Amino acid sequence: MSFDFTLIIDAVPKILLGIGLTFQLLVVSAVLGLVLAIGIMLMRISGKWYLSWPAQIYIYIFRGTPILVQIFIVYYGFPQLEFIRESFIWPLFRDPFGCAIVALTLNTGAYVSEILRGGVMGVDRGILEAGTALGLSVRQRFIHLTSPIAIRLALPAYGNDVISLLKSTALASTITLADMTGIARTIVAQTFAPYEIFISLAIIYMILTWILQKSLGRVERHLGRYMQK
Amino acid sequence: MKFTTLRKLTIGLTAVLTFGTAFGASAETLRVGMECTYAPFNYRTADGELTGYDVDVAKGVAEIIGADLEYVCQQWDGMIPALLANKFDLIVASMSITNSRLEKIDFSSPYRDSVGRLVGKSNMEKPLFDAADKPIPENFTGLRIGLERASTYESWFNAILPDADIVLYDGSEPLYLDLVNGRVDAIMTNPMKAHLRFLAKEEGSGFEFVSPAIAEVEYFGTGVGIGLRQGQSELKASLDGAIKKLINDGKLTEYALKYFPFPIHNEEWGDN
Repeated sequence: MSFDFTLIIDAVPKILLGIGLTFQLLVVSAVLGLVLAIGIMLMRISGKWYLSWPAQIYIYIFRGTPILVQIFIVYYGFPQLEFIRESFIWPLFRDPFGCAIVALTLNTGAYVSEILRGGVMGVDRGILEAGTALGLSVRQRFIHLTSPIAIRLALPAYGNDVISLLKSTALASTITLADMTGIARTIVAQTFAPYEIFISLAIIYMILTWILQKSLGRVERHLGRYMQK
Repeated sequence: MKFTTLRKLTIGLTAVLTFGTAFGASAETLRVGMECTYAPFNYRTADGELTGYDVDVAKGVAEIIGADLEYVCQQWDGMIPALLANKFDLIVASMSITNSRLEKIDFSSPYRDSVGRLVGKSNMEKPLFDAADKPIPENFTGLRIGLERASTYESWFNAILPDADIVLYDGSEPLYLDLVNGRVDAIMTNPMKAHLRFLAKEEGSGFEFVSPAIAEVEYFGTGVGIGLRQGQSELKASLDGAIKKLINDGKLTEYALKYFPFPIHNEEWGDN
């Protein structure tokens, strides 16, 4: 099998037309997922069973099923239900972009909430006891003591999840979205040259991952600067 | 006496063994790639058995050239790459013989018409085609058209209506789902398939063909053929011969009438 470099030169600019959509999927679902994760994590550690149980069930469901299946359920499954088709949320589910965002957000939210919980659990009890001794309220202790330390502790694992989310966005191509992977698959279908095109696509994802990794590393170093000598 | 019996037995056994090996070698196995979800051409029945017009043709050809068949299910957009990667030997998947495909693979002579037609809501506001059956581009604006990725329909739209809003799908079943859901306004597909699978059924009420049958040879090819890797002239010749025999023996008509009220090939393909 010969390797045709001119194909790569033709294909890369076309694939890059999808980088905007890939980025939108990543940023929107990462931000919404983080907000969701904070809420779920607070429910999970609230100590009240009626908050903690639903959170645990949610986490179990979304960590326990493949994200491709979740995307298919949202895209193909929900429209089968009459009441969703007739409700005000239908415009969201009618649009494949909306479906992809919903599925990616729900999925990443489950993982990130557990990452954040890990951070919160990692905060030294002594610090919180010192806070109590100084007369801080529960809320003040959480905002001023727990949160900054927990964020620092959770950041490496969180960065890992963002990188994994970047690659999950490729699954949006299965529900008609023309993200980078969707465009690459269309080019393969026209040129019948899977090696050249998919290798170019893989390299683009690797470059994006490298950029993400470097930026997250910077944030980590910034937050952990008190530990550096 | 004893000796002759033993000798007879030996000769018999040798004959059986020789015949056995010879038979095993002659019946080569051809692996056939198809989607397995493209009713009524290639699909599974409720019992999981593969059936359809393409499957009938594959079986008919295999019988004539004396080969065994093994089916490989492959998603449409990877069909030609999979053939080139030797995942199977033949494509019998309703694939039209187009020039761009002929650059990469060979085709047998055709065994079915290649044609496309748009399906949309019965009460479309503006006609999409004029009286001379030419598309009216401005009436396509604002319409989302669903197509299978890598289909002849996609190349037709890219060439004739490049500004249309195209949504690409990985299989044919989601097209109908999303047409009913309203995610797309029209789909282009094989009219025989659309009729059987959708329009004749209850879910297809309120929908109809919104275009004439489109079969421009430049985009739709001379028909549907069996795909094979290039440089296998012997295999191609035996496939061609088998298909012509199926046409001349009336077998193709027989296969078509199992699914449709009319034959779906051209009798002239059986000549010479």
